[in-house]
Formats: sequence, structure tokens, C-alpha cells
Amino acid sequence: MERVVVTGMSLITSLGLTLEENWTNLVAGKSGVSKITLFDASECETRIAAEIPASFDALWGAYIKKRSADQMTRITKACFVCAKEAVNQSGINFEEQDKSRCAVILGVVTTANTSSEKNPQLQTRILKSMNNAMSAWISLEYKLEGPNFTVASACASSAYAISLGYEMIRSGAADVVIVGGADSIVNKEEIEGFNHLYALSTENDVPEKATKPFSKNRDGFVIGEGAGVMILESEASAKARNAKILAEIAGYAITSEAYNIMAPMKDGEGIAKTIAKALKNSQTNIAQVDYINSHGSSTMLIDKYETMAIKKVFGERAYNIPISSSKSMIGHTIGAAGVIELVITIQSIIKGIVTPTINLDEPDPELDLDYVPNVARNHTINCALSNSFAFGGHNAVLVVKKYL
Amino acid sequence: MAKITENTRNEVKETVYSFFIEECEVDASALNDETNIIRDIDGDSLMFLELIEIFKKKYQLHIELKTIGKYVVKHPAETIGALIDMTMLIIEHEDRIVNLD
Repeated sequence: MERVVVTGMSLITSLGLTLEENWTNLVAGKSGVSKITLFDASECETRIAAEIPASFDALWGAYIKKRSADQMTRITKACFVCAKEAVNQSGINFEEQDKSRCAVILGVVTTANTSSEKNPQLQTRILKSMNNAMSAWISLEYKLEGPNFTVASACASSAYAISLGYEMIRSGAADVVIVGGADSIVNKEEIEGFNHLYALSTENDVPEKATKPFSKNRDGFVIGEGAGVMILESEASAKARNAKILAEIAGYAITSEAYNIMAPMKDGEGIAKTIAKALKNSQTNIAQVDYINSHGSSTMLIDKYETMAIKKVFGERAYNIPISSSKSMIGHTIGAAGVIELVITIQSIIKGIVTPTINLDEPDPELDLDYVPNVARNHTINCALSNSFAFGGHNAVLVVKKYL
Repeated sequence: MAKITENTRNEVKETVYSFFIEECEVDASALNDETNIIRDIDGDSLMFLELIEIFKKKYQLHIELKTIGKYVVKHPAETIGALIDMTMLIIEHEDRIVNLD
């Protein structure tokens, strides 16, 4: 079986338009949450979000032709720009690859052709809305002839996409798979919808303090916008072109709880099963795990159940593993969360730094693990997990290791 | 049936070339009548519809897009030259273009 390595990656979130900018701000413990600007949210119960910086509108023109841009939503553009940057970092020249063995798999809930989208045109409505738009544009850009498609499993979508990309390479069906995703649900309809599910924080007065995973006073998640793309490649392909290998994807688990459309299985049983399955799939024992990038959404139930699941799987070892939530800084980027948080995890491995869980000022007595409160920490990581859980009972756990 | 002059053809050609130069962000020197719209300059099929809308207004043509669609299915125009030829037929025959077969 082929080993699967990462040779390129890129991010766009509320904390920056490049991987480097994101990393600097994540390590500094900055918040990307602020008042919503993309639409008039004055009548919404939640009026805050972690939006992609407005400066993105001046950036994408350097990557996308005007004609194509007119047929993309803003978040599709973000995904496209990310893909270009990830490809650039990987140094791959697709003209020298067998393009029939190069694929694109993205986790996409929606392309966000919503009421927040500027200058809607009837003529491009379908092209902008179609769920496969992002993968199609990337495939077109590089003339890749392997499969390109999207997978939708709500907040676990891009983690599922990475898992499928991993399988394609592992099984020998592809040499290179561009994986990732992008999402934006910062629009009136979806904010109102999530408010009716009591899922969102309503702490509008101090936006940067609103998302506070594992805190006693957490009151829901904050919606974030973002995009992330990674270049997965067979070890043989990467070595053949002397590529710099950033990390190895060691395994994964994707499962269904088959329990409830919204609520997670009691006491985190489904989450625990998924973590255990991912460890087994990657032939990793609990002593090897040095860091967990948690789902950590800042909701009452998930934070508690994720903690319970980690304790169940790791026993006493759970207390010695740093666990942090990227969502405390960039909000919940929904379908893009899986890839964005895996990129952050890989960057943590490369840099030897664990990013913090910010706004953890009032710990929940029930949640007593090491959540890396408020301040980043130097920490050697050889193996890490990245967790993603979703409405619909979709769970995903990815295992990533330092490439040795 | 509209009267076609040499001037009409020049106008159409100029409009088509200008359209592709702007929309595909290519230099005029990169275009000629043999240029393949999709393969050579990353064009798309929507461009044809947009051009037809331009010409419908300019020459006050009475023709439905679906009528043009029926004709295009049988006579696809892949190059800029073929597109100009088809536009001339549309201007000349309008709705009756489907009777040309």
C-alpha cells in the first residue's frame, strides 16, 4: 500500500489570507470574530461572525480571470485561490504528471450563492450555486483528468474529502489528490436558522470573546468563513520529483452515529468509537499521540462529549495530551473546518508549537483536560489527531504524523 | 429578412473580437478566425449567449434563444470565424434560421 504524504497546503480564514499570516495570528491567540458586515444583521439574534477579511476582494484578481470570477461565488474564489497557493507550495508541475491519475475531492456544504452574495446575475445563478463548482474549477485550471467531485457531510465534509483522497492514493488509484473545502454561511437565512436551533453564541457585545470552547460559560459556536486546500501525494510520486514532504497522513476513521439528526450520541460514545477506529486504522497506539486538534465548537454538549470520549479512549494518558480548539479563534468554518484544522495541526507538527484555546478564562469543572488555555506552547509533536463532528451523525478523525 | 452589407460583417467581427479580448483577457494578436473558443482561450458556452443578446439589441432581431439553440445543436460554432458566420446567418434569417436545413 502506498504511503500518503502532504506536499502543499494553504489557508484563508478570518485570521488571514495566507498560511503564514494565519499561523502568526493563531500562535498569537488572536480572534477573527467581529460584527457581521456581509449583510444587515441588526434583526438577528446573533450579529457576529468570523468573516474572511475584506482585503480578499483585492487579492483574488491576481489568481482568477475576470470571466471565471464572474461565475464564482466569493467563497468559491477563496477555495480556488487556496488551491493555487497549495499547488505553488507543493512545486508540482501537472504537465509532468499523468493527469488521468490526478484528482480533486472537496468537502462542500454549499457554494454560498446566498442573499449575502454581491451582484447576483440570473445568467450565472446555476454555475455559482452548483455544489461541484469548486472542484470543477480546480480541475479545469490544471486540466486534471482524474475524478473531481465534492462530498457533503456537514461540518465533517472536508475531513471526509481528505479521507477519500487518502484512500485513492493508498489504494493506488491516484498519484495526486487535491483535497480541501471552503464554506460561508454568513447570511441572514442560515444565521436565523441556527439561532432557532440554539446553536450559536449570542454574545454580540464583545465578539472576540464569544467563542470559548471548554469554558463553563460557553453558549454556542460562532460561524466562521474559510477555505483550506492540501496536496496529497503518494510517497513515490513526491520522492520522484524531490518534493518537500510536510507530513504523512497515517490514517483516519469516518463513521455514522446512526442516532439523531442533530444531537451527538450520549456521553460521546460515537466520538470515542471513531477515535479508536482511527487509531487502529493508522496503527497508532495511545502513547504515540502528542496532540489533539479538537472539534471544540464551544457548544455545551459537544465539548463535554468530546472530552468524555478522549478520556474513554486514552484513559489516564488523556491528561497528558495537549488539546486545543482552533474554533476559539477562527469560529466554526462548517464544511471547511476539517481541512483548515488539519492544516493547522500539520503546521503545529512542523513548527513544534501547539496553538491555544483562547477565551478559556472560566474553566468548566467537568472538563478537566489540558486545553492549552489562552497561550500557545512549544511542544514536540510526532503524531496528532484532528477531530470533526457534524449534524447528521457524521464523525471524522484524521491521524497525521511527522514524516520520517 | 435583413439586408446584410460588408459593413454589417465588419461590425459583427469587431464586436466579437472585442468581446473575446475583454472577456478572455487575451491580446488581440492571440486571436484569429481559426481560434478555438474553448480550447485556445478558455472561453465558455455562455459567451455565445451573451453575444447573441448584444446583437439582438443592436440589430433589433426577432429571435428566441431556444430557436438559436436548436440550430446550434446541429451546427456548433467552435471557432471565432464560425461564430461570426453563424451570427451573420442569425442577423439575416432571424427566426427562420431553423428552416435553413
